[in-house]
Amino acid sequence: MKKAATTMGLNRTILPIVLTSLAVAGVAADWPQWRGPNGNGTSSETGLISTWNPTTLENVVFRIPHVGRSTPAVFDGRVCASGRADGRYETIGCWSAKDGARLWERRYVVHNTTIPFSRVGWASVSGDPETGYLYAQNGDGQLIAFDREGRTVWQMRLGEEMGRSSGYGGRTHSPLIDGNSLIVSIVGASWGEQAPLRQRYASFDKRSGKVEWVSTPSAATVEDFNNQANAIVGVIGSERLLIGGGADGWIYAIRVRTGELAWSYRFSPRSLNAPVTIRDGIVYANQGDEPLEGGFMGQVIAIDGSLKGDLTASGRKWNSDGITAAFAAPLLDGNRMYVTDNSGNLHALDAATGKHLYETNLGTIGRGSPVLADGKIFATEVNGNVHILKPLADRFETLSHVALKMPEGRHVEVWGSVAPAYGRLYLLTENYLYCLGDKAAAYKGPAVGAPSTTRPWPAEATWAEGPLASIALFPAETRVTPGEKVTFEVRGFDAQGLRVSAPAATFSLNGLTGTVDATGVFTGEASTVLQAGKVVARAGGFEASARVRVFGELPWSEDFEGGKVPGHWVGAGRLTIADSPEGKVLAKGPVQVGLNRATVFIGPVTMKAYTIESDVRATKKGRRMGDVGLINNGYTLDMQGVHQKLQVRSWASELSFAKDVPFAVESDVWYRMKLVVVPGASSTVVRGKVWKRGEAEPAAWTIEFEDNVVMEAGAPGLYGDSPADIAWDNLKLTSNR
Amino acid sequence: MRRVLLPLALITVFLGAQGSRPVGSQTPDRGLFGEFPTRNSVSAEKGLPSTWNPETGANILWSQAAGSQSYAGPVVAGGRVFIGTNNEGNRNPAIKGDRGVVMAFDALKGDFLWQMATPKLPSGRVNDWPQQGVCSTPFVEGDRLYYTSNQAKIVALDVAGLKNGNDGVTDEKETSATDGDVIWSFDLMGEADVFPHNLAASSPLIVDGILYATTGNGVDEGHVNIPSPLAPSFVAIDQKTGKLIWESAEPGSKIIHGNWSNAAYGVVKGKPQVVFGGGDGWVYSFEPKTGKLLWKFDANPKDAVYRLGGSGTKNDIIATPVVYDDKVFIGVGQDPEHGEGVGNFWVIDATLEGDVTGKAVVWKRGGDEFHRTISTVAIHEGIVYAADLSGFLYALDVKTGALYWKHDMLAAVWASPLVADGKIYLGDEDGDVAVLAAGKTKKLISEMNMGSAVYATVYPKDGVLYILARNRLFAIKDGAKAAR
Repeated sequence: MKKAATTMGLNRTILPIVLTSLAVAGVAADWPQWRGPNGNGTSSETGLISTWNPTTLENVVFRIPHVGRSTPAVFDGRVCASGRADGRYETIGCWSAKDGARLWERRYVVHNTTIPFSRVGWASVSGDPETGYLYAQNGDGQLIAFDREGRTVWQMRLGEEMGRSSGYGGRTHSPLIDGNSLIVSIVGASWGEQAPLRQRYASFDKRSGKVEWVSTPSAATVEDFNNQANAIVGVIGSERLLIGGGADGWIYAIRVRTGELAWSYRFSPRSLNAPVTIRDGIVYANQGDEPLEGGFMGQVIAIDGSLKGDLTASGRKWNSDGITAAFAAPLLDGNRMYVTDNSGNLHALDAATGKHLYETNLGTIGRGSPVLADGKIFATEVNGNVHILKPLADRFETLSHVALKMPEGRHVEVWGSVAPAYGRLYLLTENYLYCLGDKAAAYKGPAVGAPSTTRPWPAEATWAEGPLASIALFPAETRVTPGEKVTFEVRGFDAQGLRVSAPAATFSLNGLTGTVDATGVFTGEASTVLQAGKVVARAGGFEASARVRVFGELPWSEDFEGGKVPGHWVGAGRLTIADSPEGKVLAKGPVQVGLNRATVFIGPVTMKAYTIESDVRATKKGRRMGDVGLINNGYTLDMQGVHQKLQVRSWASELSFAKDVPFAVESDVWYRMKLVVVPGASSTVVRGKVWKRGEAEPAAWTIEFEDNVVMEAGAPGLYGDSPADIAWDNLKLTSNR
Repeated sequence: MRRVLLPLALITVFLGAQGSRPVGSQTPDRGLFGEFPTRNSVSAEKGLPSTWNPETGANILWSQAAGSQSYAGPVVAGGRVFIGTNNEGNRNPAIKGDRGVVMAFDALKGDFLWQMATPKLPSGRVNDWPQQGVCSTPFVEGDRLYYTSNQAKIVALDVAGLKNGNDGVTDEKETSATDGDVIWSFDLMGEADVFPHNLAASSPLIVDGILYATTGNGVDEGHVNIPSPLAPSFVAIDQKTGKLIWESAEPGSKIIHGNWSNAAYGVVKGKPQVVFGGGDGWVYSFEPKTGKLLWKFDANPKDAVYRLGGSGTKNDIIATPVVYDDKVFIGVGQDPEHGEGVGNFWVIDATLEGDVTGKAVVWKRGGDEFHRTISTVAIHEGIVYAADLSGFLYALDVKTGALYWKHDMLAAVWASPLVADGKIYLGDEDGDVAVLAAGKTKKLISEMNMGSAVYATVYPKDGVLYILARNRLFAIKDGAKAAR
């Protein structure tokens, strides 16, 4: 039953791609990303425990107080995990995998999001054995690359910069490292052609954070913001594919170096949350909603991943119906596969036919993906149940079942998977990060920081000899200041998405004022303070473009008399320009389809020490009245019409860190609103003022709030919720310096 | 616990049932969630089966495909069975896509009679969650059926559908003989500015010509803001005309998530009361005819904290109150999506007035001894049968709350126990229906798997048990034998 480190698709390889997992026998294996060194939930580790006891601490090597719901990453002699702390923070930490000694921990104030606190820290962190970097995607869209010492190498905020919506459900993709790239899924609405609400994948240079590509595999809108079908990489035939379940219910296979769509499969009418597992060119997937046939819920399928195009009608090899497994990834084990359903039952199926073989009950809520190592299955259930099982021909034999309890007696929540590495098991729960193993056995892992010998993913040939089939411009998306120079590199790819040399290119601009020279150096016009557009390259008969936004120094002002919503704004797709007696205004009305809420970011996240002000108006309709406000440096000032109050908040779903003051909002009356944020040494002061437009500005602040965290910088923006009409006009940003 | 997908074709009936009322019977009849206005689901039915087998057809009188998700009903009246489901049953191939559907079947033969298929709200999941169908168990009385549609309209339908002509309003979009016939509707969103969170799901109650319902009013997609705090959570509507009689905006901006409980009705010391579970975790009792608040009770401990997940101790109310012996029996809980956690089960003295929090407590059970629930209790011969989301069925002394026994269903329970014929029937998310002996001693008689989750409460009528699994409706009768 021992699982050797697997290879993927070796038999179909036609290009000189070396596919070896270096986690060979005798070398302790990392668990660097959430689905392990092979991307499929298996590990070559042996000597793993079969029993443990959280009360007597039998086989508990150490446990560290850490609250989380993700799967730890184990690499470099370290165990690292995301988590949440003190009602306010997402926390990322690394500890010695040998003894649990704390190496570093970084805390982030959760803000500009609607994720609730208890769902913070849902994405697993990913370790890169090559660089030693650790990557995290926080629930509020903060994407961070840390070096071994926990210093920030690069970071982004995907919400403010790329329109990511975190939603309330909070399901967050674990960042995926593949070769030189870091890939994340973004569900949201950005700017320009990416303004429509879609699920997109973005690939970043893992060392610099520069954008390699943004792929929008679907023209369909997202079914649900909530999507956590973490994509994985597999080599199928000659192609290296990123395969994951989409927020529109389709499974997409994307060429991992170009973002081009290779195939798609319509699996569900609803957003997919269970990751797929790939083996020998076959993609195994499960879901818990109505499949194409309709009439029932839940389906497990196997797809021939070597095909191309829309595989919905042609690609399915088998289906097993009626297992509602919407969250956990399937696990392959020789001729069997295991699937955890939503209700906490673990099923064994025939991997060749999907025939149901047997099942066992783990509890009542199945979310974590089962893991296989050392001939044992490690399976978690949300209500604190941790099972170690031995799969037999006809049943699961229970080796141990631990029901974790909090001190107050209720269950401990467990959402992630067990991570086997270095002869041990690492498990993150609602109260501890556990290291489980035989205390008498020697630690098999490397010392902290020792360069890892393992490479978790199948290696690839980086350059090919095939004919040029596409080009791309790098960086694909960038933000500059007026006059700043950016050098764009033309990259060539063959039909399989492998790099080939690109012929000389010619460059032009689309929608940008400035220059681009023959070597691809773009310089924005120095006098144009704000603009957005594209740099376009043509080479070898192909065309590619890169998106550029230019932001100059304050002051900025916008009276909307130009009749257009500014093109550089992120998330403004539902705002319109409306005529009013005073001229043109920015407006938002009740929507027929979707949500009334809009959060729009209008400048870089690095902005600090500025004042934002605008005219705002809300109009009553029936018993409903909209909310309208401004965003400055992580804080929203919201004039809430129906609640007749002003609110300052940083986190819409956790209002313990917010302030309300009563305020008589009159319908159809223009107010002037002003918002200033002043970070101090240990706190941040937020000051807002709202008065009737045309009246003298009052001396006193209408609302003032001291928050006991330091928010150093943050993007300016607009906030609105429009069950009835709301509007803004005469927007102005000025520097406080 | 094997998942068995039964074929969609109508199962052939081998044995005709005796005693079921034929369609069109003149006998006035009534069917509702809990069978009685008190919502105490204790039936006088006798001769109900203790075992059956959906795979062999043993004791299966008939079964019919529902949609893919079914949470409402079944209720039986006038020889018809009614369920709430979605459109995946594809009863009318001309109607494509997601809808909220009420289906009617012949209670005796199982023939599909008609359906009312309502399009989804364009605003999407925040108001009308995909594929959830109709989650309101209809109230049926005589020739009318009343339910809350997925569009948050309280609707009166003709129990015969359009087959007997188009009565009431005549603007139905689907007009075949197997489509539903709307008599009147009251639009909670359009006429009362209600913002139903995820789905309006109230199972109406009608007593003395007044229909009582909760509205579903709740938070927006950000889950904190109440976008329409001035809209009602509780309404009383004229049964004949569909006009609003009274409304209560309690609990308004205090709603935690949404209002999905139902009204119960009882006469307490000679005085009628209509009692609602509130979306703020309070229980509210009103004078039925006027909407005057009689009493209210906070069903959360004062130190309770609302948090998603198992650490949260503050809950709202999704279960339906039961009025029994001048008391109200109710457990608190949350959307099952929020997971399991500690709950509180209360027995409240309904004879007091005003804010009766604390002082009206007859007994309670909580902490790890009663978890979050969305299930409604049944009280019979001195024993309260109560289930929680964690899958436990408790038998508790009605006077003291002392535990006689508990049974672990080993799966989440959304349904409510039915007590009938000396037995307790309860379904769970694994699709198992357990049959236990009623009484102070625990005795599991049998457990049968229905092929998909059983979220709805078992309904007895005329010697037949009606069980709605997630995608199939079963009629079960001793001695019946259906062939596949």
